[in-house]
Amino acid sequence: MTVLVGLPRDERAAAAVHLGLMLARSLDEDLLFCTVVPPPWPPGMARVDAEYQEYLDSSAQETIEEARRLVPGDRSAAFVVARARSTSAGLLEVAREHGARLLVLGSSTAGVLGRVAFGSVADRLLHSSPLPVVLGPRGFRCRPDATVRRVTAAFGATDGADELVVAVAGVAARAKAALRVASFAVRPRTPLTAGIGSRAEDAVVREWTADVERSQRAVLEQVEKLPRQPSAIEAAVGHGSDWAAAIEDIGWDDGDLLAVGSSTAGPLEHVFIGSRSSRIVRHSPVPVVVVPRGALRALADRAEQG
Amino acid sequence: MAPMLKQAFRRKPVELMAAETGVDGHGGGQLARTIGLFPLTMIGVGATIGTGIFFILSEAVPVAGPAVVWSFVIAGVVAGLTALCYAELASAVPVSGSSYSYAYATLGEVVAMGVAACLLLEYGVSGAAVAVGWSQYLNQLLGNLFGIQIPDALSQSPEGGGLINLPAVVLIALCALLLIRGASESATVNAIMVVIKLAVLVMFVVIGITGWNSDNLADFAPFGVAGVTGAAGIIFFAFVGLDAVSTAGEEVKNPRRTMPIAIMLALLIVTSVYVAVALVAVGAQQQARFEGQEAGLAAILEDVVGASWPGTVLAAGAIVSIFSVTLVVIYGQTRILFAIGRDGMLPKFFQQVNARTRTPVNNTIVVALAVALLAGFLPINFLAEMTSIGTLVAFLVVSIGVIILRRTAPDLPRGFRVPGYPVTPILSVLGCLWIINSLRPITIAVFAIWVAVVLVWYFTYGIRNSRLRTGHRDAS
Repeated sequence: MTVLVGLPRDERAAAAVHLGLMLARSLDEDLLFCTVVPPPWPPGMARVDAEYQEYLDSSAQETIEEARRLVPGDRSAAFVVARARSTSAGLLEVAREHGARLLVLGSSTAGVLGRVAFGSVADRLLHSSPLPVVLGPRGFRCRPDATVRRVTAAFGATDGADELVVAVAGVAARAKAALRVASFAVRPRTPLTAGIGSRAEDAVVREWTADVERSQRAVLEQVEKLPRQPSAIEAAVGHGSDWAAAIEDIGWDDGDLLAVGSSTAGPLEHVFIGSRSSRIVRHSPVPVVVVPRGALRALADRAEQG
Repeated sequence: MAPMLKQAFRRKPVELMAAETGVDGHGGGQLARTIGLFPLTMIGVGATIGTGIFFILSEAVPVAGPAVVWSFVIAGVVAGLTALCYAELASAVPVSGSSYSYAYATLGEVVAMGVAACLLLEYGVSGAAVAVGWSQYLNQLLGNLFGIQIPDALSQSPEGGGLINLPAVVLIALCALLLIRGASESATVNAIMVVIKLAVLVMFVVIGITGWNSDNLADFAPFGVAGVTGAAGIIFFAFVGLDAVSTAGEEVKNPRRTMPIAIMLALLIVTSVYVAVALVAVGAQQQARFEGQEAGLAAILEDVVGASWPGTVLAAGAIVSIFSVTLVVIYGQTRILFAIGRDGMLPKFFQQVNARTRTPVNNTIVVALAVALLAGFLPINFLAEMTSIGTLVAFLVVSIGVIILRRTAPDLPRGFRVPGYPVTPILSVLGCLWIINSLRPITIAVFAIWVAVVLVWYFTYGIRNSRLRTGHRDAS
């Protein structure tokens, strides 16, 4: 069993390495670091390509060396340079060959420091990966012995939401971490031209919150019946006038991980991030794991069997 | 009977209202006072202009003749007086809401239900009226751009010789879909809409004035004062929305000063624009041609210029801005129903919130169905009058409420006091009564039946299920 860390070719890979280490340590898995370079043009085509290839190979090697330096001696880690037309396809190919269970990526350098931002590779994988994808916030760092201490399941009272919580509970139990179920009540501003005051939306949000708290309690009762329990169980509802504020509202610590499910609109066996999950992911201050629905089912079954 | 009366006049404690706005100590509490004079004035202008001016002249000129200009002034003055009274009542309740919640906190449950009846009527019927006006401009635009017209059978109410006003129904369905998905109008969108509305109306005045012909004003007031006040009743509809300024009170900087100035400024801007538009319209076109004219402003421009482009531009502007007005009106209606439901006066069905979209879906569907029925099958002049009476009666209650509150709770802190008390509220009451008196008997009868239905509902269901009686139920 392996955690596969995709290393960016041309930027600092430390965030992805740190995150991969933390996850591997928490779940007691092996580590595999991979960087992808495009294959050379077919022989017979222009040979000027060779020089560029050499440059690519050497920079991939540098990336690998950088990662190697960051891995402490007590962890077994493998390193591989894959050749593929596209980075996302290359990573998935390597993941299949090595039976990886998690795919870890850093954030795009275009994002805000401390927030998750998908680059083009992450975006592709978030719509096609058959295994869970973990995204670190830009500039993520942790201490060498850090582990996951709490996993937060983003819970909307919709289909499949319970399954995510049960699956996450199982993973949290294995990592000896706490479980938190969190929902986000985003309160839009009431248009003042409607002549009904500024608080019309508050009542709707309260009603929604009451409903979601009931659903949270129900799903936590399911979790309490599981053979292996997370180290602690809590529920939270974050309030805010936009997603960023609502997500900020529930409070985050080092060692937190946020899990979101795939959209039910997407295929069963692949990650498919919906608009709502995508908003949550983009505003997350902690690493996020996106789980395809098929994998959820397997994880939830596993959690129920203990 | 006495205990029942006592129950009917129980008030909703302000502490309870304040407690309800905070969500378990989150996000509620004091709202930041961020709205200054200019944005507040824009809220007033944005909420008011666009509800009526685009199509009300075709209904009002046949009643008043060119003297319709004075009808606008009368309706404007009464609207201003009532808005001032409304601002005092709103400021006496520290938590912002609709006139339903203000009446509930200050005048008692049964009065609040009466006001709710007026509000539901006002919002529902004005939503329908605006949608019908929209369909006129849509037809005009389609005709100008593509040379097609939706046949009368599908674009006229039965009274107008059709089967159903389909575009109006489609517009309402579209708004309902947007609201179910969770759309809401932002301050930016409102600002853009205000600009569009004012721009096309200014365009109308600038181009329309070139067609000025004083002969058209010869028979200035063919129906005398009665005609002028009768038209004021129809036109009052175009001033609905001015009260939005008062409901924003909680977020206004220095409300004691800003609020009355903003109300007056908004009123001045709106009334000036209306009077200018009305004056240009009656100067450019003979009275007789107003009757039954669809998409009136666009038609007048086309006649003046002798080309279709100004009408096309005006119709396009009207379609965009009226769409946003319809959306906001239907939104307001659903949230008022929601508030009444949360107070226990309606079955649970009306306050269910969809888990995924986080919007009150049932509520939105019911409102949309009701408004679509009205828009599909009723003529616009009736809808406009029904809106006017709902608004006028609600304002009447508010103006009387100001006088009552000054007597029963003189020490209640008020962020804003009506200038010229007691003359202002008394004038406001008289003005409302004067305009109501000029409406058609059928309008008054339908209104009375509607309020009676709501009150019967209150005395058979609401009074027993009110949360003031059953206790404060919260799922926390």
